[in-house]
Amino acid sequence: MAKALAATPGAQGKNPRMMFYVDVARCIECGGCEVGCKNENEVPFGIQRIRVLTVNEGQTGETNVPVPCMHCSNAPCVGVCPVDALFTRADGIVHVNKETCIGCGYCLYACPFGAPQFPTNALFGSRGVMDKCTYCAGGPVEAFSAKEHTIYGSNRVAEGKLPMCASICATKALVAGDAEEVEKVMKQRVAARGYGQSNWGWQTAYQRA
Amino acid sequence: MTNSMNDIRNAKSVLIVGENVCTSHPIAMQHILHAKEINKAPVIVVDPRFSKTAALGTQHVGLRQGTDVAFIYGLVNVILENGWEDKKMLAERTYGIEALQEELKKYDLDTVQNVTGVPKETIRQVAKTIADGRPGTVIWAMGGTQHSHGTGVVRTFCILQLVLGNMGRSGGGTNVFRGHDNVQGATDLGLTSDSLPGYYGVAPTAFAHWANVWGADIEWLKGRYKSEALMTKPGFTVARWYEGVLMEAKDLDQENTNLHAVVFWGHSTNSQSQMDRVKRALDKVDLIVDIDPFVSNTAVLADRKDGVYLLPAATVYEQRGSVTNSNRDVQWRNQIVKPVWESRIDLDIMMDLANRLGFGKEFTKNNKKAWSKETLNEDIAEEWSMGMRSIGMVGQTPARMKRQQEYAHLFDVDTKKAKGGPVDGESWGLPWPCWTDKHPGTPILYRADIPVAQGGMGFRARWGKEAPDGKTLLAGDTVTLPGSKTKGGYDTVKDSATDITGKVFAEALAQGLAPSGNGRARLNAFGIPDPVPTHREPIHSPRPDLITKWPTYDDVKFQYRVPTLFKSLQKPDWAAKFPVILNTGRQVELEGGGASERACSWLVELQPEMYAEIHPELAKKHSLKHGDWMWVESPEDLDDRPSRVKVKARVTLRVTPNMIYLPFHWGGSFEGKSLASKYPDGTVPFGIGESANVVTNYGYDRVTQMQETKGGLCRIVKA
Repeated sequence: MAKALAATPGAQGKNPRMMFYVDVARCIECGGCEVGCKNENEVPFGIQRIRVLTVNEGQTGETNVPVPCMHCSNAPCVGVCPVDALFTRADGIVHVNKETCIGCGYCLYACPFGAPQFPTNALFGSRGVMDKCTYCAGGPVEAFSAKEHTIYGSNRVAEGKLPMCASICATKALVAGDAEEVEKVMKQRVAARGYGQSNWGWQTAYQRA
Repeated sequence: MTNSMNDIRNAKSVLIVGENVCTSHPIAMQHILHAKEINKAPVIVVDPRFSKTAALGTQHVGLRQGTDVAFIYGLVNVILENGWEDKKMLAERTYGIEALQEELKKYDLDTVQNVTGVPKETIRQVAKTIADGRPGTVIWAMGGTQHSHGTGVVRTFCILQLVLGNMGRSGGGTNVFRGHDNVQGATDLGLTSDSLPGYYGVAPTAFAHWANVWGADIEWLKGRYKSEALMTKPGFTVARWYEGVLMEAKDLDQENTNLHAVVFWGHSTNSQSQMDRVKRALDKVDLIVDIDPFVSNTAVLADRKDGVYLLPAATVYEQRGSVTNSNRDVQWRNQIVKPVWESRIDLDIMMDLANRLGFGKEFTKNNKKAWSKETLNEDIAEEWSMGMRSIGMVGQTPARMKRQQEYAHLFDVDTKKAKGGPVDGESWGLPWPCWTDKHPGTPILYRADIPVAQGGMGFRARWGKEAPDGKTLLAGDTVTLPGSKTKGGYDTVKDSATDITGKVFAEALAQGLAPSGNGRARLNAFGIPDPVPTHREPIHSPRPDLITKWPTYDDVKFQYRVPTLFKSLQKPDWAAKFPVILNTGRQVELEGGGASERACSWLVELQPEMYAEIHPELAKKHSLKHGDWMWVESPEDLDDRPSRVKVKARVTLRVTPNMIYLPFHWGGSFEGKSLASKYPDGTVPFGIGESANVVTNYGYDRVTQMQETKGGLCRIVKA
């Protein structure tokens, strides 16, 4: 884990904090983020670390919302986890230790975004260990190890890259990166177009008291 | 496209008709959003269905499908009535305004409202919006073309842009989004039955030109055909090849012979209409060859045990070469991995086939290269760049394309031009016409305000100096390109399309002349059916009361070697028997025939099943709930039973209560029965489903024979 953090962009800054900007004025529901995530992290069938929701389909005001784990400040999932499997990294990324997780599902109830995913293909639909968006930053095991890849997927952050979903977003509706940079992009856009903040989820994720 | 995807960033208004950009071209949507956000450009989406693009636009105009001509003429009438037209453009650079004005008399706004279903206030407002938002772009795709009068529809888009003066300007243009990454390249290189590469046609002069390029003996070439008449007659189209198998030989226009073999190369049967008849042809034809990286619908459709050969082609990642995108950018693509297993690159398969048939060498005499697998792609690029004089696809040598790849970072996203480095001044992709290996390319067609050497040109003078009515077809005197030694318009430069030495181009450019001339855009395209486009009801019209006033064409005895029916099929009672409008199109997860995407688990997880979009009211009428099975039945009747597909109801407000929408990428299931057992072991796609094109209706464009898949009827029955 230490190895992974050392290479994290922004981790050296004064106030390192990785975040997502979900620009709902730009999302076209192409699903590129969903497919890119699946392919990059080899996410099993039935688990979606990011999904695009469409509200008011077919009506004026139809809006598409890509929903990853927002990696909240003071993340409520971390607060409710009875076994401390969930934790926040120094760069703001919220990770789950899948070797500690007992699959109780408290985090799902606490999460305002419905990010935690549970495989339900076991007998009697019992819940497996929680899986969620890792911000393409692997997990709390040795970076780039086979174990990390099997349990958590890819570790692009340790390679100095941004999450796959945001990297391939066709309309740049999903922006990832260091908080300062992301905020700059958001402010530029809103100022230029002069309508709607459209930084969906920020209040909930990053401005929690 | 006359302009480029990137150039949409410079538009002050965006009119999208019959194209769902978010679904069909998601990457291009960034440029439209840029125009919307930065230029404050209104984005008007004209579509019978409230598409995802409509949701992202600033306004949705829901018109009845197949009434685009009437709608656009409504706009043109409002523009002319208010004097908003570009008078200079019309006077100096177009031909045929009188004929257009005569036709326009039929389209008063009450009539247009009645035909299209769009309120006349909306038509007035849209006309004002695009007149105020100049330069403005017009974007379309298959929603514009897949009609029995699709050529007319497309031409009205051009007329609108000429009237507004949006042609030859950055931010304007007529911009069709092509359906695959290299469709433009395929068209340019002559993968149509009526032309050799470069739109030369199939006349004896066209063969002479290409024989000259290849170094082939023209007499030998003629000897390969049954007759010179057949050699120079347009062949079957992909839309109707099967009639060459099914019809009696005497009823075809090819010297009493049927088709005996069919080769599908990277194409799927399920994107073509009349699949019921296609299946019959596949059952009957002697030989089927399917060349594809994946097992397509074609491979499993036929009920037969032999005579089907699947040749594994390499995917795009396993081969390199040039591809031409919608805006004529010719780009080099690299090989990322060597072909896996026994798959082979397309050109290798083709060369091997030509050699084994014994004529490979005849076509390569002028190119002294080794023609080995290693250099094949470069050699072929050099060959076409020698011959494609007609459209100026000449300066895109492999070396230049590769150099652009290397210096991609120097190109500007708004202008596509490079600043600095060895590519300084070049346009990304060297969009044709790129007259010489020094020319920067022409990202915007018909710009008269810059020299030819920098990408300027007039409208092409392809139709001679004079129209049949004696009026000039050459541009007016004020349309003189900077640096041109000739004032005003001029004819095409003599021998420019056939001189393969490059001398003629070089001399023309030295004089500041575009080899394609400086002519006028024709509002009246004499020589084709409907020289001035006119609205015609779809063959299967939901408005029988309009058929008398707006009838379709007379039947055509032979079109691309087969009889094509129009009027005799346009029956007023279709609408009563088949009361639901059938619309088809794309879904974002899949593409074309869907063979590769439906074999990808990630994509199938997002869209596991074929469906029909249906409005809650219509669903209620048929006691259908979201997810219920339903039959869609079409007017196509073989053996006294309608062609039909079994699909799931997807209840949504996207569609109006009088229509349903089917995505067309599905295959592997036919009229309710799975074809999974017919796939070779281990190749059944994760997602199989019914093909929409089993139920799309008969109907073909009068000029191109494009299928009328955006103008049909159906009825629905709960399954």
